[in-house]
Amino acid sequence: MSTLDSEKFHAPKHVRRVLESLVAVVCPPEAVELGIEHEIVDHAEQTMGALPSLFRAGLIAGITAYDQASRVWPPSKGKASHDLPLAMRSRWYLAWLGGFTPVQREFAKAVKQVLVLGHYEHPKIQATLGYKPQQWIDKVKKRRLDVYSDEIAKHEASILAPDPLPRARARTDREVR
Amino acid sequence: MVAAQKFAAPAAQRPKNLFTGGDIHGDLVLDADVVIVGSGAGGATLAAELAEGGLDVVVLEEGGYYTTQAFTADASAAVRNLYRDGGATIAIGDPPVMYQEGRAVGGSTVVNGGMSWRTPEKILERWHHEAGLTGIRAKDMEPWFERVERRIHVRHQDPESIGVDNLILKEGADKKGWKVIPNLRNQVHCAGSNNCAFGCPTGAKQSALVSYVPRALHFGARLYSDVRVERITRHGKRATGVVGTVRGANGKRHRLAVRAKLVVSACGAIHTPALLARSGVRSPSGQLGGNLSLHPNTKVIAVFDRDVRGWEGVHQAFQVREFQDEGFLFAAVNIPPGIVAMTTRHLGAELGELMHDYDKMVIAGMLVEDSNVGRVRTINGSPQAFYQLSDFDADKLKRGVGLLSELLFAAGAKKILMPFEGVPDLHGPDDVHKIFSSTIPKRSIEVVTVHMMGTARMGRERDRSVTDDFGFVHDADRLAVCDASLFPTPIGVNPMETIMALATRTAAHILDDVRRYR
Repeated sequence: MSTLDSEKFHAPKHVRRVLESLVAVVCPPEAVELGIEHEIVDHAEQTMGALPSLFRAGLIAGITAYDQASRVWPPSKGKASHDLPLAMRSRWYLAWLGGFTPVQREFAKAVKQVLVLGHYEHPKIQATLGYKPQQWIDKVKKRRLDVYSDEIAKHEASILAPDPLPRARARTDREVR
Repeated sequence: MVAAQKFAAPAAQRPKNLFTGGDIHGDLVLDADVVIVGSGAGGATLAAELAEGGLDVVVLEEGGYYTTQAFTADASAAVRNLYRDGGATIAIGDPPVMYQEGRAVGGSTVVNGGMSWRTPEKILERWHHEAGLTGIRAKDMEPWFERVERRIHVRHQDPESIGVDNLILKEGADKKGWKVIPNLRNQVHCAGSNNCAFGCPTGAKQSALVSYVPRALHFGARLYSDVRVERITRHGKRATGVVGTVRGANGKRHRLAVRAKLVVSACGAIHTPALLARSGVRSPSGQLGGNLSLHPNTKVIAVFDRDVRGWEGVHQAFQVREFQDEGFLFAAVNIPPGIVAMTTRHLGAELGELMHDYDKMVIAGMLVEDSNVGRVRTINGSPQAFYQLSDFDADKLKRGVGLLSELLFAAGAKKILMPFEGVPDLHGPDDVHKIFSSTIPKRSIEVVTVHMMGTARMGRERDRSVTDDFGFVHDADRLAVCDASLFPTPIGVNPMETIMALATRTAAHILDDVRRYR
């Protein structure tokens, strides 16, 4: 098993809180309607766990800065972004997405990416799209074995059959022929 | 959502001679004739040929060992487990280029699309004339390609495995009168499960995991997964082995050393130069880590008013080759909804509305044979890629996106989403001119790649290249490279078969002097 998987990543509580507050901003409304915000953030945590450590640290620092910076945004009246009502949370997010600095813009995009990935990887959301790839895989896997099992077995046997590389002299002889 | 822990292969499913970190209970020193770092297209092929040729081979792989049974439609779990750094690896530049590398037993062949093309003849001629390589022209390479194609079963797709998205691409190309060809893929009756990039769940794709790796093990090679090689040990200019660490049983880290008569780096064009650099290998050419080319890719999302269900059927059944002489190719490549949603500019309800039509989308990509080169620098022992898209290639990407859009509109697309930030969706063929008439800054182009090449390039002259005709490092002894790092130039097609053929050629070269390595 790869190293990253054996170190299961858990985001700090305040980071989870900010991410949960952003689900309703960046994901389609079904996320809230179906009550899957926590699961989306669980998925985002897994995604963050697989990122390079420097990248992950930057994302966590960015989330913290994003949340606290809203306190100095006059309309927030001193509140952190996760405490703002939805309409203002959206305005604050859009302000970052169209921000003056590339860092703000890239951060806002990255947060959206980890959350919408979690949203559309959720089985309930995939079902609403009619996206059932595992059913398709199971069906065609069976069809393949039903139709082609003899040829598959023949190739599998060939994988282990002796077939040494011809040595230089043999190769030269073949070229001459 | 499959827990990552469920992904690894249980001990009972592991072949003899394959050891994972969990099998290691203390520091380990191994002796071998040849040690190969990396088990992908280059490493596994070389290991199988050398083991069958009678050499004692040890292969070290940084990633884990996963069997076909572990591969499901859970794309996220696959990306976290099978890709380096969860697929979030970036070449710094303007625009940044996101690249992906496989990291598992079988390397990137486990997660590639299975395109199996020989190196174009014009490229081999170029390598012969410009890099001075011998035994590299098409007629010289013929037996190596034939051998690889036999082993990995290179064929066209069975018709029943081809999905609607690919038929639409072909229909569009036919309507435009453009050259479109069926793809050659390494597969045994591929079922069209459309899961190539997340591990083939049927075992039909003949990745190294199910072809060259089992063959290498059968002929006596030993493979250790979960091993990160830190450096190559040397005595003067002579490579004597490698040292690394393995996360062993109970999560403890152990040292692993291999003493060998030949050391081969086969860990890809990003990590090979880093391994050589942190081992103190210097190239008088200054080219170690340089000459990075990466076939910049971009994609468009076309929405149709009919059912496409792009996940039903093989991806890239066809390639549009009309513009190959200009250096670009088109193909249809379905990607899961989560990844589509990540790459669009849409948010909230608007995103929901767009994705509601996911089953009507054709996602088509283009590959550009690049004209610029970047560099892999080794910073604190780790590689960082730098790559600047040239204006020329940026223009090619724009032109390609325009042509691809024309093709998709010819096939009936109603809307096409652009890979350029700030450029609105196209709603008909008359909109295509917007791409050409608007100013599209380079930084707004979404560029990705999976084809990194050239960072330890082969060449006759040691002041212009890192390795010789067969991948042996100039000015070093018993040290070779066996991956896409060797390519003197980009090749303009998918690189797997070229890597495997070069590995076979290198194996033959080594076996011609086998006593030197015993």
